[in-house]
Amino acid sequence: MLSPKAEKLIEQYLNLPFADIVSVRCPYYINTRAKQRAQLRVLIGKGLPEEIVEEAKIISLQYHQGLFDCEGRCLVPNLPNNKTTNPPAECLKKFLVDYGLGIDCSGFVSNVLRTHFEETRKIDIANKFYFVSLKNSIRYFICWLRPIENMSVRRYISDKNTKKINSVAEIAPGDLLIMLETGPQKNRNHIILITDNDGKTIKYAHARAWSMEGKYDHGVARGEIRLIKPGEPLLNQQWVELGTVNENNETYLEAKNAKIFEIRRIKF
Amino acid sequence: MMSCSPFSPELLQQTLLYVILAATGAFILAPLLVRLLLKFQITRRGEFDFTLHGGERLFKIGTPIMGGLLVIIVVTTITLLFNWERTYTYVPIGVMGISALLGAADDLLNIFGKRRRNRTLPMTLTLIRVHNKWYMRLWYILTLPWTIFERSTAAFGSHPGKGVLVHEKLLLQFLAGAVTAWWIYFKLGAQWHTLWIPFDGIISLGWWIIPLVIFLVMFTANAVNIADGLDGLAGGSLLITFAGLTIISWIEGRAAFTLLNATVLGALVSYTYFNIKPARFQMGDVGTLGLGALLAINVIAINKTILLPILGFIFYIEAFSVIFQVFFRRFLGRRLFKMSPLHHHLEFKGWSEERIVMRFWLIHLFFVIIAIWLSMK
Repeated sequence: MLSPKAEKLIEQYLNLPFADIVSVRCPYYINTRAKQRAQLRVLIGKGLPEEIVEEAKIISLQYHQGLFDCEGRCLVPNLPNNKTTNPPAECLKKFLVDYGLGIDCSGFVSNVLRTHFEETRKIDIANKFYFVSLKNSIRYFICWLRPIENMSVRRYISDKNTKKINSVAEIAPGDLLIMLETGPQKNRNHIILITDNDGKTIKYAHARAWSMEGKYDHGVARGEIRLIKPGEPLLNQQWVELGTVNENNETYLEAKNAKIFEIRRIKF
Repeated sequence: MMSCSPFSPELLQQTLLYVILAATGAFILAPLLVRLLLKFQITRRGEFDFTLHGGERLFKIGTPIMGGLLVIIVVTTITLLFNWERTYTYVPIGVMGISALLGAADDLLNIFGKRRRNRTLPMTLTLIRVHNKWYMRLWYILTLPWTIFERSTAAFGSHPGKGVLVHEKLLLQFLAGAVTAWWIYFKLGAQWHTLWIPFDGIISLGWWIIPLVIFLVMFTANAVNIADGLDGLAGGSLLITFAGLTIISWIEGRAAFTLLNATVLGALVSYTYFNIKPARFQMGDVGTLGLGALLAINVIAINKTILLPILGFIFYIEAFSVIFQVFFRRFLGRRLFKMSPLHHHLEFKGWSEERIVMRFWLIHLFFVIIAIWLSMK
């Protein structure tokens, strides 16, 4: 298992800490298209759950959306009829997606791992992280100022930061499944965090957007890999997520189609 | 009367007369101004209000803006008629006028202007490569430094899409600051090339006084502008500041500035009366930029430059809250305050408008008293 605080953080991503509305799952948001620079980390898919909630309240007040009052109380259940056709959690989720609030895969992994290592080993991985491929000193300075925002999937796969795990049996909580050049266009990278391994099932959590989930239903999710063929590679096992198995499971397909698929462990 | 002895009873009598005259004039003029602003629909609109918008704020929509005109008109008229000194008062009034004009243009364009296109640097670079007319490509190349300047200044402000853009505002404020610096350096004499510091200290700045004055005029004008976000906040705080400034100039025996500050004080008494929640009008950029510049120039002109951050304490705190917020946002990716300037953060924390304004007044008063005490050292 991950540390209690890290587990709690994952739960908060799965159920954002809005004061009076439950079951709002943190949506997936990646900054690739918007390309916002020098922006709040919560607006570029790297925020913590409480930052996402706080920003939602600020945006709602600033842009007159009326979802929260000045004290931060959620007004969704009291909204006019045209807005209450959906349950409050759905309304909020739609609002978060429309305003670009969410988390990307590496942001999710970095925040959870940071909490995990702070609790278990008293180290801040953001400070230990080696930022490879830095073009110039300005980029280095930016990475020093904003490490979490710059802990990308490509930097996680670097040997300076992680080491490769060759055997499925060695997988432990805190390990990472890294996929490079995957997706239909072979232009996406993805990272998954292992949360538990009892020898029969490997549990994981990640932030992702499956095509079958449409515009608003994506976000942080948990899944598991059932080790039905001991001794064989991970891709030969049974991947279960959202009630789907292997070929219907988009996470599995991404792993399968990735140019590089590796199991890695933080070195620090 | 350019100068007289410190603590002069004669000057005090005259000062009080100016306060009464300005307050009465402004009080009579205020209802007329409100009617005029309403007639021409120079009122606050909801669509460009990016501040908190709970139920408490809804009633502000439709409130006339540009109420600062009241102070500008009264101060200019009384000074022109009774306190016109070629050496001392014409430049402060002129600089206030330049800044107020800039503010008025911004206020009016925000209401009646068209949306202004704000081309990004990557867009301009793309146009340089792909525009099908060679002369346009040349134009974009030639104006590239200007575009870079325009884009780099955009980070310092929040632009609602209309009105004067940040780089235009900065240039005009630079002009106002430059006029002040020219006056201070070339017209007022060698005494103003030094920086007075409390407890008998003097630092000789030489020509460095020029950039310092330009910076202070620009910064203070914008600081007052930033503080104008709640009913009575900017007006009441300016009132306290100019009261302090009047006392300091009177103590120093600087007659022209004592009377000028007293005029502003009187006009602000009436302005604040109408600006207290629920406001009959709001100051607008015309008032904040004009009076902010005048505040800076008057403090510099009585050679108490070092006291400017204390005399304008609340304005500086508000301005720094914005600067720190921008720094945190751009460099660290986090918010320092829930919203900036500071008064919006406190609103977000649940403080009522009245609570914020009155506490800010009291804090400001405390620091102005400190400034008066320091000025005598």
